[in-house]
Amino acid sequence: MTKISEMPAVGRGFISNLELPTFDNLAWTTSVPANQRRISIVSTAAVSRRGDKPFSWLAKDHRTFHKDDRDLVMTHVAVEFDRSAWQQDLNVIIPLDRLDEMETDGEIGSVADMHYSFMGAADPVTMEKSAREVAGQMKQEGVNTVFLIPI
Amino acid sequence: MCGLAHYFESEGLSTVVVGFVREHIEAIKPARGLFLDFPMGRGMGKPNDPEFQKKVIRAAFELLEAETGPVLEDFPEIIPVRDGRMGYALPPELVLSTNDIGDVDKLVAAVQGEIDALFPDYEAAVAARGRTTVGASELAIKDFAPFISKFIRGEIPKSPRKGLPAIPLLKLVVEDLEAYYTETRTHRDGIDDLELMGKWFWEETRAGQLLLSLEAVSIVSENKVMLQIVEMSLMTPRFWSEGPLPGSSAAGW
Repeated sequence: MTKISEMPAVGRGFISNLELPTFDNLAWTTSVPANQRRISIVSTAAVSRRGDKPFSWLAKDHRTFHKDDRDLVMTHVAVEFDRSAWQQDLNVIIPLDRLDEMETDGEIGSVADMHYSFMGAADPVTMEKSAREVAGQMKQEGVNTVFLIPI
Repeated sequence: MCGLAHYFESEGLSTVVVGFVREHIEAIKPARGLFLDFPMGRGMGKPNDPEFQKKVIRAAFELLEAETGPVLEDFPEIIPVRDGRMGYALPPELVLSTNDIGDVDKLVAAVQGEIDALFPDYEAAVAARGRTTVGASELAIKDFAPFISKFIRGEIPKSPRKGLPAIPLLKLVVEDLEAYYTETRTHRDGIDDLELMGKWFWEETRAGQLLLSLEAVSIVSENKVMLQIVEMSLMTPRFWSEGPLPGSSAAGW
């Protein structure tokens, strides 16, 4: 298991010194049955549709993309993660094709039309307003389940 | 990521998070978390492996069956990382100084030669995948090396892209250049090996040498943002190194 204590010095120092958000009340929403789940992906890979405004380095805002969009680019500020995987296959960070297949096979209810991207390097507390806007948009299109995937 | 989950959950949406740093999931306590012992950048584990990707998704969605939480589980399969690092890192001893840069025109010409030689295979990769990640900068491929070379010569050029200053644009151009090389090579040679791709691009290509030259200029730059992007490993891959870039204090971290 990769533990923070086993990471090399520079990364270990950064990750162990991050100020993590705390939440006094741990929210819990009971899930609907699998065949009723309408699922939207939230990625913190700072991806967006080609031509969209790039993310700023500590962006609080988000970008939106449709489930059929595949022409995505990444403007994440960090370079410490592997980018060669998503270059080969978008599904390794945003598994839209897999969710489509699972919908067809009846494993889930449906894949949402819209999906969302944030800048993972930013403090999530600064993203609260944007996250709540996204939640409103999700509910408008009947989403009840969110699959959050980092980069 | 775990913090965002709290906001969605409090809006009446059920959430499940996957994550690479177990200690963070433990501390932030999202409603449902699945720890992945994978390299960062590979949330579903393996590119072009639908069955493995579905195993990860199914393991994550299984957590939605829990009646109470928070729930934290470990995905049972591990994708090993090298020496505890979560991505490629330049060898600490591979550092250029401004004295090592030499003739910038010749270096740019050599990079353009590499780019031209790779182009047929890049086109084949794009055709096969139906997409490319190159182009976040919106500069033409032929303009990548000349744009970077201006910074190596000590200039901060005017940004050709409206609404995006020159240094943030530079970062995107650097990433586009690397993506052009690695997209091409992963397809041409059927390679999926992040360590091998990093070693090849950064240690063996002239494009890598161009970017190490840029780093050498940046670390002695009087421009605070140029200095910051190398000190914070935001341009060259030193985040997983055993020490900060020589000449920097890593004070940004």
